[in-house]
Amino acid sequence: MAVIELKNLTYHYPLSETPALQSIDLEVEEGEFLAIVGANGAGKSTLCYTISGFIPHFFKGELAGSVNVAGMDPTKANLGTCVQKVGLVFQNPFNQISGSKFTVYEEIAFGLENLGVDPQEMRERVDEIIRRTRIADLRDRSPYALSGGQQQRVALASILVMKPQILVLDEPTSQLDPIGSQEVFQVIKEMALQGMTIVMAEHKVEWLAEYADRVLALSAGQIIKLGTPQEVFSSSELPKHGVGISRYTQVARRALQENLWLEGRRMPVTLDESIEGFREIIP
Amino acid sequence: MPERMSFFIPRESRIHSLNPLTKLTLAFSLIIIAFFCPGLFLPITINFLVLVPLSFLGKVGKEFIQTSIRLLLPLFAFLFVMQSLFYPGGKTELFGIWIFSVTSEGVVFAFRTATRILVMVSSFLLLLLTTHPSALMSDLARRGVPASLSFIITSTLQIIPQMQAKAATIQDAQRSRGLDTGGNLINRIRSLLPLVGPLVFSSLVDVEERAIAIEARAFTLPVEKTSLVEIPDSPAEAILRWFLAAVAIITIGYRIWLSLSSRI
Repeated sequence: MAVIELKNLTYHYPLSETPALQSIDLEVEEGEFLAIVGANGAGKSTLCYTISGFIPHFFKGELAGSVNVAGMDPTKANLGTCVQKVGLVFQNPFNQISGSKFTVYEEIAFGLENLGVDPQEMRERVDEIIRRTRIADLRDRSPYALSGGQQQRVALASILVMKPQILVLDEPTSQLDPIGSQEVFQVIKEMALQGMTIVMAEHKVEWLAEYADRVLALSAGQIIKLGTPQEVFSSSELPKHGVGISRYTQVARRALQENLWLEGRRMPVTLDESIEGFREIIP
Repeated sequence: MPERMSFFIPRESRIHSLNPLTKLTLAFSLIIIAFFCPGLFLPITINFLVLVPLSFLGKVGKEFIQTSIRLLLPLFAFLFVMQSLFYPGGKTELFGIWIFSVTSEGVVFAFRTATRILVMVSSFLLLLLTTHPSALMSDLARRGVPASLSFIITSTLQIIPQMQAKAATIQDAQRSRGLDTGGNLINRIRSLLPLVGPLVFSSLVDVEERAIAIEARAFTLPVEKTSLVEIPDSPAEAILRWFLAAVAIITIGYRIWLSLSSRI
């Protein structure tokens, strides 16, 4: 069953002539992990905001076509209802801290306080989520005294604790150092393996190739490719649209020129695939 | 960045376990009494016979005295020097220094003002040292103060150090491109001007993202909010609050009656 269904979706930001999204048709199944790739300004964030209801509730502008997310029409439901079904985590970890709480523990409970959850249940849910996101050791620290990676995991925990049906991540690691990124990816991977529906805009192609079920490539607000990571990331069209391809594909392409890759063998997108390929040529 | 951006000292005491509103009412009532009751020595009596003992009962006595001295001593020194020398209504000269004369009216005025400020600062200090800011805010929210108002107050407390850090980053960037920010006072003040634009605009961009983040946590959902921190309250405390409020109102009434009758 599709939990996200976009039909012929076109969106203009206020005062903008060119559409930020144009004729988007997309279905995401329950439990699927969909990655969105594209150059800056391709419409990745806009798509994330549309799925999570911030378009048209927070950003006005013109929205045409139909949207159906988790059995509701986000354009008709209010934003409060949308955020209970779809959790949104975005780039800047610093700006996702509410600023009104003094410890990580309280910060994570903030969303539950707003939902009116009973304090007893609140503690149980916060305890569970800080364990799952591995930030239990940070519980009494000030959310502002943390590193970027820790802050982003706090932001992620703060959203996950509200038990959304769908998790939308807009470049969650683009402002983090390699270790911080890895910690955040680890949590996302576990959520994906547990069967949560995830939509994630991200640049780190190699990681997406490993864990995403499908990849959507955007350019100038339009879908240029939608398919498995293997299909999308090995495509030679992608670099024309400013989308990076897997570094394993780059290596294999070069290897093909140097006769180190079998002619006609499909291009690898993951480390395992490239090793398999090289095994065939180097005994 | 410091771990805690508040005065609060977490300890177990009878003052800590009071309801935040009770402490807030106490602070306001004492201030009103200190300002409106006649009697030159009343404010200092309140400070030493009520606030200081309460701070020791709250196990924050040492911090209470240290902080109040640090906050107030420079102010008091300034106040006494200025008022005892330049108080306009001064007639009775106590002693003279060069062309200045110290008048007893000036000294009395300085003493009255200083002791009133002392009560004002110390009563809030007692509240802040023994009350977790979140507890105060959620208690106020529970009693009908709009959640957005208490959000603004608590987030402002935390945003100041952030703004400072951001300003420092911008200034470093400007300095590295040759802006002279050192030297004499005028030069330093002039170098603050190019800071304003980037600081204000980048803060506005942050505000949008922060608004999204708060919306994503259902801040504007129209349901009744609950609170993680359980806030103690008892009927006895409610009675105490009403009593304190009544004393404060009576004090104001008494003062009005005094000034009216002296006019007749």
